[in-house]
Amino acid sequence: MTGEPAPGAVAPRRSEDRQPGGRARGAWRPCLWALPPVALLALFFLHPLALVVQQSFRPDTGGTSLRPYADVLASTAFREALWTTVWLALAATAGCLVLGFLLALVIAFVPFPGARAVARFVDVFLSFPSFLVTLALLFVYGSVGMANGAWTGVTGAAEGPFRFLTTPWGVLLAEITYFTPFVMRPLLAAFSQLDTAQIEAAGSLGARAPRIVRRIVLPEALPALAAGGSLVLVLCLNEFGIVLFTGAKGVTTLPTLVYGKAILESDYPGACVVAVVNVLISVGLYGLYRVVSRRARA
Amino acid sequence: MWALFLLLFLPLFALPLLVVLGASFATNWSGVLPSGPTTAHYAAATRGEALQALTTSLVTAVAASLLALTAGTWAALAAAELGKRRRKALDALFVLPLAVPSVVVGLATLVAFSQPPMLLNGTRWIVIVAHTVLVTAFAHQSVSAALTRLDPGYAQAAASLGASPAYVLWRVRLPLLLPSLTAAAGLCFALSMGELSATMMLYPPDWTPLPVLIYAATDRGALFTGSAVAVVLMTATLLVLLAVSRIRTRASYR
Amino acid sequence: MAHPTTGGIRFDHVTVAYDGNVVLDALDLTVAPGEVMALLGPSGSGKTTALRAVAGFVRPASGRVFLGDRDVTGLPPHRRGIGMVVQQYALFPHMRVEENVAFGLRARRVPRAEVRTRVAEALEMTGMGAYARRHPRELSGGQQQRVAIARALAIRPGVLLLDEPLSALDARLRSGMLAELARLHRELPDVTILYVTHDQVEALTLADRIAVMDKARLRACGTPRELYRAPANAFTASFVGNANLLPVTVGRDGALLGETELKVDTGSAVPGASATLCVRPHLVGLGDGPNRLTGTLAELQWRGATHRLYVDVAGHRVMADVRELKAPPGHGEPVSLHFAPGDAVLLPAEVSADDR
Repeated sequence: MTGEPAPGAVAPRRSEDRQPGGRARGAWRPCLWALPPVALLALFFLHPLALVVQQSFRPDTGGTSLRPYADVLASTAFREALWTTVWLALAATAGCLVLGFLLALVIAFVPFPGARAVARFVDVFLSFPSFLVTLALLFVYGSVGMANGAWTGVTGAAEGPFRFLTTPWGVLLAEITYFTPFVMRPLLAAFSQLDTAQIEAAGSLGARAPRIVRRIVLPEALPALAAGGSLVLVLCLNEFGIVLFTGAKGVTTLPTLVYGKAILESDYPGACVVAVVNVLISVGLYGLYRVVSRRARA
Repeated sequence: MWALFLLLFLPLFALPLLVVLGASFATNWSGVLPSGPTTAHYAAATRGEALQALTTSLVTAVAASLLALTAGTWAALAAAELGKRRRKALDALFVLPLAVPSVVVGLATLVAFSQPPMLLNGTRWIVIVAHTVLVTAFAHQSVSAALTRLDPGYAQAAASLGASPAYVLWRVRLPLLLPSLTAAAGLCFALSMGELSATMMLYPPDWTPLPVLIYAATDRGALFTGSAVAVVLMTATLLVLLAVSRIRTRASYR
Repeated sequence: MAHPTTGGIRFDHVTVAYDGNVVLDALDLTVAPGEVMALLGPSGSGKTTALRAVAGFVRPASGRVFLGDRDVTGLPPHRRGIGMVVQQYALFPHMRVEENVAFGLRARRVPRAEVRTRVAEALEMTGMGAYARRHPRELSGGQQQRVAIARALAIRPGVLLLDEPLSALDARLRSGMLAELARLHRELPDVTILYVTHDQVEALTLADRIAVMDKARLRACGTPRELYRAPANAFTASFVGNANLLPVTVGRDGALLGETELKVDTGSAVPGASATLCVRPHLVGLGDGPNRLTGTLAELQWRGATHRLYVDVAGHRVMADVRELKAPPGHGEPVSLHFAPGDAVLLPAEVSADDR
């Protein structure tokens, strides 16, 4: 289009009729069209969420008080779940970032015939539920699984050495496995923008591979890493299926605590308190993710 | 580099799926390879309770995807007409279900629809409602992204030819958005098929989707049956995704 | 047709502003029924904005737009009954050529049989009858252009808006399409055409009248011949054709370029005032004659049939286009130029076009 104004060509004036007259008259119509979906969202999501907040202030003993908060925040179960959730999410995110960066680097810069198939596979992998990974790990590292079976078969011992699956480490392994592709995808997109000529030039000037990665690739990948990392952090904080499937009674995170309190103990006020805390953490982090990823795109 | 790649990639990503597939055909797995080949688990996984769970999952996923796609597309189209600030507010509102843990969405749905006037608890509708809420955010996001990429020149050309806004929407904008709409539908479907956390909070006994069944099987130690059901889940998801991508390539090739 | 719009276009003091930036400043312009009006100007001059105000895609901050005697200022685009062709064609990629052309008719609920005949007619007129079953992506740029025109003509608009319709084509195709557009207008003499372009050749070739725009304002409006022979200002002179623009002082019966006295028609110019002298390069001759200018040759370009000379005359560079020279002068050699008094025009002094 050639109609854009030349900057500073004409001094802004007539500011009083800047907004075309008909604009105000027709402004309510788009809002009216936005109303039905917003009403549905309010009915099925926002209002229920508000009820959760309300219920978190209503102890079973009746009345409105901060009792549920005091009870829950003081309990060791909550504190342990909070701590487990946070460190698991942080560790899983760190693991996903390292692993995802390495894998994306190989897929993007080492030419091999299956690269596109791998990219497709990553997409398919992402469309499966997370608990499948835990299910598979049960066969691999479970008490009677592949690894332990091989060990007992070779050494003749009665029990295998792999018994980490029901500990937080098992959850960590499963989360890293499942969420790494979420880091790889934005990275691959970022790498495809990177000029390979730049890397070849650096290589021809005698730069070694680690140096090229540190000086050229990493700065380009940083926004994608930040965006992918914060997404994974939020997803890990909210992960439920993986933790549930390990069957580890010793591993409790905030989401499983919500489930346990609500369904197993029927302690709704308590579940609502945990839910509110969980929502505050993850919505806060998700807001951060939106800001970061918007900056990454710009 | 190659060796490193294979060393990391295969065990981590391909192995889980292969293991589940292998286990579904086995009766025992205490060595390196599964043993006791059988198809009995599939016989169990495609009949009775499991078959019902499959239809439950399919019906839930299709219903939730279509509802979410309608609501998400509507919201995205309406947002595109709004001013900048209002549009941002609407977008933020519709991605919120993405950030809220799905367990909490389940809890909220349970709290809200367990009492009159909207007593949905104990019916299949409460599961469908929760799934719809969870996937609407994805539908809205993909459709709004596609809308910003859509050249406004098409709609303007159509308007200059005398087409009313409704006609432009129906004959020009929606057909041009079709590839993105089908992609969003596929995404919503896959997510709903695998949804476990909110479903665990809500499902009534007569509406048990596949993931819940898989969990129930593994929880009582029937890992091999669980694997067979999981393979059924993966296959059904893949088949639908394949069909959707077929439609998509045809829509974008026109 | 739903809205017969015969009777041309009228801009009545139309001002358009985006975020306080005035991109079209109080445009007054009338396009007569059946006339081809070119809006000519550099990018950012407001010409496309003017066209979009007629189409209804921008809403004026003030002023009114008329189609015939109908005030369409507040009317949405689809009620205006205009045809429009844009630079990128905007053919609907999911429809075949015939469906594209039929689009406007179907939107107006024209009976099926009539749609068929009118689509065939429009495709025939643009020479695209053989491509009816193709999809837009199977066509070349020039063919897509023809389909876009057929699509706009199928609704039999009273007004056709063309927004840089040829700028996406290569030079060879462009001259062919230009002839094609001229033929279409001869076949449809009742259609009023508003043609936006930055290319003076397109404007000079096609337009009955040209409106020259710059910096959101209308600078001149007239027939190509008027604008070329007697431009109203230096901007018009330099944008419509090439021009030598020399700063002079008005004398009693001529003008002073430095020390050199030149004979020109001073018209109503006040003696002693500063002015700009405009002479077209092809009207400047080599050698002795009336209004002789002497200088040194700075640059010589051979252009096949002609030579262009750049001559430094008292600190000003003067261009002359002359028939191919058998023995051209060398660089730095003294050269004499001349021009007939009737071929020069005195323009009011203003900020010169080079300072834009």
